[in-house]
Parts: sequence; C-alpha cells; structure tokens
Amino acid sequence: MAIMRINVGPIHPSTHGVLRLVVDVDGDTIKNVETHIGFLHRGVEKLCETRMYMQNPSYFEKLDYISPMSWDEIYVASVEEAMGIEVKEAAQYARVILLELQRIANHLLWIGTLCNDIGQMFTVFMWCFRERAEVLKLLEDVTGGRMFYVNMRLGGLNRQLPPDFRDRTHALIDYIEGKVAEYEDVLDSNGIFMERLKGVGVLKRRDAIDYGVAGPVLRASGIEEDVRKSAPYYVYDRLDFSVPTKALGDCYARYRIRYEEIFQSIRIIRQALDMMPEKGDVVGAPIKLIGPAAKPDVVIVRRELPKGEGIIYMVPDKQKPYRLSIRAPGFVNLAVLPKLLEGAKFADIFAVFGSLDIIFGETDR
Amino acid sequence: MAEAQAVDAETGAPYTPERFMNAEQKMTALVEESLAGYKGQKRSVNAMFTKLSDVSKMMSKPLITWGRSNSLWPLQFGLACCAIELMDFGASRIDAERKGYLLFRGTPRQCDVMIVAGWVTKSVVPRIKRLYEQMAEPRYVVAFGECATCGGPWWESYNIVKGIDQVLPVDIYVAGCPPRPENLFSALMKLQQKVGGKIAGNTERNLSETARRNESERL
Repeated sequence: MAIMRINVGPIHPSTHGVLRLVVDVDGDTIKNVETHIGFLHRGVEKLCETRMYMQNPSYFEKLDYISPMSWDEIYVASVEEAMGIEVKEAAQYARVILLELQRIANHLLWIGTLCNDIGQMFTVFMWCFRERAEVLKLLEDVTGGRMFYVNMRLGGLNRQLPPDFRDRTHALIDYIEGKVAEYEDVLDSNGIFMERLKGVGVLKRRDAIDYGVAGPVLRASGIEEDVRKSAPYYVYDRLDFSVPTKALGDCYARYRIRYEEIFQSIRIIRQALDMMPEKGDVVGAPIKLIGPAAKPDVVIVRRELPKGEGIIYMVPDKQKPYRLSIRAPGFVNLAVLPKLLEGAKFADIFAVFGSLDIIFGETDR
Repeated sequence: MAEAQAVDAETGAPYTPERFMNAEQKMTALVEESLAGYKGQKRSVNAMFTKLSDVSKMMSKPLITWGRSNSLWPLQFGLACCAIELMDFGASRIDAERKGYLLFRGTPRQCDVMIVAGWVTKSVVPRIKRLYEQMAEPRYVVAFGECATCGGPWWESYNIVKGIDQVLPVDIYVAGCPPRPENLFSALMKLQQKVGGKIAGNTERNLSETARRNESERL
C-alpha cells in the first residue's frame, strides 16, 4: 500500500499547545513521525541575560504553566547557590509543601486531559479540575497568585504563611486523598480507558536509558530515578516516601506512576506539616535589583519537577546571569515520541503523546 | 400570419419568458402579481408570498442579532499559559457551557469567537490567520491576556508579535497575566452585548475592518 503523509497540527485541540506532526502512514499503521517544534519560542534564555537576578522568576514561571512554582523554585535555588544564601529551615519545609501541592495540581490536570484525549471522558476531566481548583485556592491564599505565584525570594518565601495554613492543608489533602481514590474505581475498570492505554506506546528499559527520558516516563520503564532520592535537596532526606516504578513502560504504566505519585505527595505533605517548626520565619529577602554579588562560577541545580528532572546551568555574573541554559524534561521526553509511535495505529498518537506530559512553554522556551 | 414561435425540441411546448426565470425571479413575479391588488393600500402582505431576502430585511436586525448574541461558540484553541485558564473556564468551577451559548468547538468552521490565549510568535501568525479565515462571518476575536493584547512580558523578545491586534481585528481585550476565568466570562458577556447592539461597536465594525485589511493586503 502506498505511504500517505498526513499533517497534524500545529493548532489542534489535543496537542496541548502548538505541536506539528508529519505522520507517514501505511493504511492505519504509522511508519514514521516527524515532530516540528518551536512555535512558542520566545528566547527566554537570552531575555534572562538582560535582567537582574530577581527580575527573572516571572519568566521561569511561564516555562511550565501547569506547575509554575517548580520552575520558579529551581531558578531561585540556582541564584541562592550562586550567592551562597542559606534557606531558613521553616522555609525549606514550606517550599517542600508548596512544591508537592503544585505536583498534585499538575498530575490532576494531566489525568484530566489524558482522559479527554483518549475518548472524551469528560466526567473525569471535570472531577480533576474540581480537585485542582481547591489546590489553587489554597495556593492563592498562601502566595497571592492564582496561577503565577512568583512567591520565592532569596532565602525563603514572599510572605508569612496564613495562621490556619496547617489546618487548611491537612483538610485539603484529606479531601484530595478521598476524591482521587475514586478515580481508580472509575478508570481502572473502564474498558475504553484500559484498551486505549494498555500495551500502547511501550518504551523499553534500554530505550529509556538511550533516549535519556526524564521523570515519570523513565520510572514507568522500570528505572528508579528521582532527584528527591538520588540527590536530596531541602528536607527530602528527612521525609519517608517511596518512588513508584513500573516495569512495563506502556501508557498505562505512565498513568499509574503519576496516579501513585499523588499519594506519595500527600504523604510528604503530611509529614512536612508535622515536622515544620511551629513558629518559624519563612519570609526571605525582599526583592532588590542590586543584591549581593554572585561569585563568578558555574552553578548547576537539579530538581525533580512534576514532569521530570529539570536542570539549570548558570554562569553567574555580578548582578545578572552571564549565560543561562535550561534542560527541560518536556524537550527530552518529546524526542522519544517517534520511537514510541513506530508501528502504532494512527488513533494512538494522542494517547501516547498525552501520556508523555509535554508542555510547550519549556520545550520551545 | 403569426410569426413562427420557437419550440422546445423535447416537449414541443412553446418558449415563454417564464422558462428562463430562476426560482427567485419566479417568486418575485408571483409576489408582484399578488401585490398588484394591494398597490396603494398600505397593508402588510402575506409572508408566504414574499421573497426570502424580504423576510430577512424585515426581521433582520432584531432577530439576527438576538440569534447571534445567544449562540457565541468559541473555538477550542490555546497557545500558552492562558489556555490553562481557558480550560478552567470550560471545567467544573466556572463551567461556561451552563450558559448554553458558550460551547467550545473543535473546528473553526462552526465557531463565531476566537479566543487568542497566549503569546503569538511569528511562526504561529500564519496559522492563526488561516484559522480566522476558516471561520464563518461574522466572527469575533478576544485577545485574552497581556501577551495577546500587547506582547506582555515578552515585549523585548525577537520572536513575538506585540499583540494579536496587529494581525486580526480585536473586539474585546482582557487584561491580566493570566486573567482569571471570571474575567473571560465577563468579557464574553460584554461581547454578547456588543453583538446584540447594546453597547457601542457592532458587527459592522468587524466586517468593515476585515474588508479594509483585505484591501490593504491586496495593495
């Protein structure tokens, strides 16, 4: 049969942004996929070189607009390392709690959009957004922003935590734990959901290592790699949590990894809330454009973002970055898409693509 | 002797002017015939015998604007951060579809409103233009967020168009980075009033501006 070339995107309801795929199909079987990216490129790395250190966090939040605080934190952490600033202990706990809340919000949105992509299961989408709205409500009260927070300051946060923070967070994670447990009953017994995900887009362990994929995609292929465990930052080494891994490496395994990570995040938050100093100061240094001068040395900061391992490589100058390079998990995970789609059916494109959890703000940057 | 009349080759019937009329001309003739008795008397005629275009002329303004303003279907299309708030707008907390006139559609051919949510890069501009041209007129554009309004935080970037209004005629601007879903709701209700002619600016502005742009492109 003749090979037909089909264009998908760049503006398509299921591409979660702007991605163009050129797909060669033989009948319904995919022979080759080309990915075309760069439709959201705006030169973040270059823009950051023209700004003072503490003007940049707002650019970093727009890299991953589903979990903005994670990129905010990794950038501020790299500046802290360049300037040699210690984070206060209470602020370390507070950051861990907020970052894990952000991870929960990210995974909830991901589950919702995946269900939407694979067959218009709009009910689960609505449920996920109901829970996510509660998380955002808490984050808004704590940080002052609904979606973009810019709440990290050198050495801490932008303001004190509200007095009822502990009670509200406990109530919130109890609520989410109960609600998210319901998803399993609905999804894992749903024929459509299982048929669309099981055995689709299998990434073997060897390929996962060769392609250098990150985060849940790597862990779904049977490799236990999590920066929170392998190079702990903040107070993660004092907290008891496990890193879920799966051996199969198909879309269903990727879904299970993220689903189980929600419960691990809840576990982390619960412990961190108990261990957080009762009356600790979490407020960091106010924003000053001319801060303490950074040592001219290379700074590399690794963090486990909700989508995988993110790295910032920075060559600091005195008042602003001389060179800044971003290693985004979405970019490396997108590279494996043609491999996963080889020999798959055309209808599987968006199940496989959705399972990788790619965001184009950080991929195109 | 009467001159020989042209005859249809198949049926043998003589040609009359009616045979060359199209449906609308026939209808007009019929209406004029029916109106003949009423000429001079100022009374309305039976709608059955009027042309379709007459009906639309008679009822157009109130009926069509009412219909348009109560069936604004936005295009399901997102570019960047603001698209997440667009999803929230359609999801459980706000649930735009409960209003009945804000149903997100996947294809531009069924849509009336394009919500440009996110920063617009130079490589995306031709695609957005294509989507806009695929939408049926009258069509409306909402610039959602700072980036679509003026370039926002990417003002100094080399790859960003400083506002979608440099490419498309914009009806409503929504401020915020990103605007809350409630803001979008209020913006679309404003657009509804605008389409319904309740506040300044109406469909004509949009159409004329489109025509002007086409003209300037031709030059």
